[in-house]
Amino acid sequence: MRNHPFSSIWVVCPAYNESSAIVSVITRLCQAGYHVVVIDDGSIDDTRQLASTLATAVISHPVNLGQGAALKTGIDFALEQGADVIVTFDTDGQHRPSDIPRLLDALVRNQADFALGSRFLSEPLSMPRMRRILLWGATLFTVATTGLRLTDTHNGLRAITRRGAQALRLRQNRMAHASELLAEIARSGLRYVEVPVTIDYTTYSLAKGQRTGDFVMILLDLLAGKLYR
Amino acid sequence: MIAQVVLSLLLGIVLLYAWAQYRRSPIVTILSCVVSLMGFYFVWLPSHATRVAEFVGIGRGADLVLYVWACISLVVLLNLHLKLRTQHELLTQLARSIALANATLPDEARASEPSRISAVTEGKTSQPQYRLADGPRPGQTADQSA
Repeated sequence: MRNHPFSSIWVVCPAYNESSAIVSVITRLCQAGYHVVVIDDGSIDDTRQLASTLATAVISHPVNLGQGAALKTGIDFALEQGADVIVTFDTDGQHRPSDIPRLLDALVRNQADFALGSRFLSEPLSMPRMRRILLWGATLFTVATTGLRLTDTHNGLRAITRRGAQALRLRQNRMAHASELLAEIARSGLRYVEVPVTIDYTTYSLAKGQRTGDFVMILLDLLAGKLYR
Repeated sequence: MIAQVVLSLLLGIVLLYAWAQYRRSPIVTILSCVVSLMGFYFVWLPSHATRVAEFVGIGRGADLVLYVWACISLVVLLNLHLKLRTQHELLTQLARSIALANATLPDEARASEPSRISAVTEGKTSQPQYRLADGPRPGQTADQSA
């Protein structure tokens, strides 16, 4: 017996030049039985070809737009397909499909519309010191600007109900989308919950992850987003 | 006098432009109006420019006008940046529409599969039953996947 009422769960996987990791990630998600939509964000390697042999659906941006834009495209597509729950999942191999049932369970138990993964609620993990400081700063920024009480503000693993996804107005194309999404959650007034998840840091995922300079650009993007309509 | 009239005309154009931009970006309009009005003030009362410059610690009125001009340039740059963002947003919408219209999706995958989902929550793994985007899944024949 399943312990949640969701009959259609779509996992949205934005991918940009992920040919070395995407096969493993999509295979594990498909083996777990989820509908998987890969959004190839204008990759110049074999990401699209590899994904199209494994995923439920593949959407290709004609040009590289950014992870935020890819997520928005995937969420729109999943809503079109009638998804009850949409899970966002990074394709660099840092997330575990085994964490998804925990997110779904948290949605039901808390009657929430957003279940947000947090690496800091699980067991202590080995993380580069600089990354820990940056994430700590991002968390402080989010608490100050949105009022949300969160421990991990830049975690790509989330589960969102249909109602939650429909309430989001995402405009940030690039890395600032994570902060924008949290601001939208705060604006929506819908319930959210944090769930412990495990992040597997590998040389590959660290190389693909955010750098110090990215946080400056995120702040500038968020500021610019406030200045125009 | 000629220079004052020409400069006033130019500043008037900036004001008109700022007014036209209000709906798109109020902050650009406000900044443009502030620096333009400052420009009017210093153009018609140049002696005040020197006094104001001395008051704020710049020294010469001409330097103050130069700094104001630099501020106008920065506002223009900001406005251009915001316009570029708007254009990029339109490009995103266009690209998204094209991408969604060309999505690779097997018809069978549109239907949800409660039995498969329940297996997931019970910790089992199961082979998806829908057809592949580009052929059958590993371990399946084309008939099985249809």
